[in-house]
Amino acid sequence: MANSLNKTSLLFNNFALIFIFMSASLFAQPDFFSAKYRLEFGNYLYAEKDYLRAFHEFRNVLKTIDNDTIRFRLANSLFKISRMSEAADNFKTLFFGSALSEEARLMFYQSAYFLNDHKWFRELTEQENYQTTKYKNEVERLKSITYFYDKISLPDTNILFKPFHDSVHTRLAKFYKQKKYPQYKSPTAAAVLSSVIPGAGKIYTGEIGDAVAAFLSTAALAYLAVSNFNAEHKFRGWLFTGLTAVFYGGNIYGSAAAAQIYNARIRFNFENEVKLYFEERNYFLPRIDF
Amino acid sequence: MKIRMIIILFFLFFVVTAKGQDYVQSQFDYANNIFGSQHYFDAITEYKRLLFFDLTKAFIYEANFKIGECYKAGGKFDDAIEYFSISELNARNDDEFFESKTQIIRTNILRRTTDRALQLCDELEKDERFSSRTDDINYWRGWSYIFADEWKRAANSFAKINFNHELKKLAAQTDKEKVSVTFAKVISYILPGAGAIYTGNYLSALLSLSWNMLAGYWTVNSFVQDRVFDGFVVGELVWLRFYRGAIYNAEQFAINKNIEVANKSLKFLQNEYKGIKP
Repeated sequence: MANSLNKTSLLFNNFALIFIFMSASLFAQPDFFSAKYRLEFGNYLYAEKDYLRAFHEFRNVLKTIDNDTIRFRLANSLFKISRMSEAADNFKTLFFGSALSEEARLMFYQSAYFLNDHKWFRELTEQENYQTTKYKNEVERLKSITYFYDKISLPDTNILFKPFHDSVHTRLAKFYKQKKYPQYKSPTAAAVLSSVIPGAGKIYTGEIGDAVAAFLSTAALAYLAVSNFNAEHKFRGWLFTGLTAVFYGGNIYGSAAAAQIYNARIRFNFENEVKLYFEERNYFLPRIDF
Repeated sequence: MKIRMIIILFFLFFVVTAKGQDYVQSQFDYANNIFGSQHYFDAITEYKRLLFFDLTKAFIYEANFKIGECYKAGGKFDDAIEYFSISELNARNDDEFFESKTQIIRTNILRRTTDRALQLCDELEKDERFSSRTDDINYWRGWSYIFADEWKRAANSFAKINFNHELKKLAAQTDKEKVSVTFAKVISYILPGAGAIYTGNYLSALLSLSWNMLAGYWTVNSFVQDRVFDGFVVGELVWLRFYRGAIYNAEQFAINKNIEVANKSLKFLQNEYKGIKP
């Protein structure tokens, strides 16, 4: 009996020692920098929208694990932090032999679009190797949008509006009209008008207050010049003559400048309006994430 | 037999817990090391890694506090305040709470949201737990007033700590050197150019006065010669322009002078002051 107890005790002791050893090994310091842990941490950062740090983690993970989803997330992290050129390059690595190929191609075009080289982007959409079948229409839409920002002449509305849903055609037509026939003012006409009647060029550019002020100040200074000459105050007469000339010339120059500013404002407002419209609708693109 | 089993289980529990803490501790040390070498971006990554893997949340206060410090050092004050606030919520005692709160105050000072910093100082002062730390509170209140450009109030706050406090003397001196914008304007209403003299811009003062006298002469002369319309136009277009210009100038000179005086003191605080800064 005692012998049996001793045996049990010995067995238990051995078992306990092995168990302790194994537990100690199991709970030995884990390598937080191993691919497995980096991936966990990277995914956490990605979910927290800390994309720059997530990118660093994914980049390290990819040194040991090759996985399309990680590649996609890495490229998307770069896209989210506006490193578009690098994002496009990384999406390109998923073009062939990947289940995410179509999505990667769309994201590649999105990244390329945000590089703001519209001519190059349009050329890119013609590249056969890059084309997507699933998202062909989406890429065409991006291509159409680029025409609204460039100084080149717009293509026919049938081509331009084709990738868009009918419901937005009215709005697009409005943009088209604004772009094709902008309500610009001629700086030369503004200058000529102001040289005939001081302030008239300002009225032409819609600055009524400035126009009235320019007319009154030029007229008052001219009157002062005449009045002082009549009173034989020659110095003051010449002083006010000089001031009249400065105001007169300044008004002509100011009117031409006002027309240029007016035109710049028209362009700026138009581009802002277009940008805001498409941005609010995510450029009519699906939100892709894995 | 039972005793032996209990000892073994206890030992096992101890080993598991100790090992668990061990690797989290070494991650914390690693992050601290990076923080010490002032690589704040990487330090934040490592503190975040620590927070992610520290399942026992043993370092939740320290890690969040340090992340706040990193963001603060990088000038990302909004993020810094966010993390100091998390550390404040996870403070284990009054000291940790106070540390987090003062860091939030200091970051608000740097962010120039001094109203909020002052509000937080008031909150701390009302808290009975910190009745023995009024000097610290007054110190940061003084700094808040400095960044709010209220040097007299700053001097009063520092005086509560010590009447001969270095910062009290500096703030009082700065306040004394500053000029009154309103006074500069008012005396310019009475005598064009007087405000410029008050702020030490003598040449500008002389020019202002001369232009006003000349324009005034022309105006009066026109009226005397019965050229009433001339008088009105010259008075309106020329004299009034110089008169208003002198007042505007006086105001700008006073504002610029005050900025100069304040900047001189701020430069001293930045480069030569040895005490704790926000």
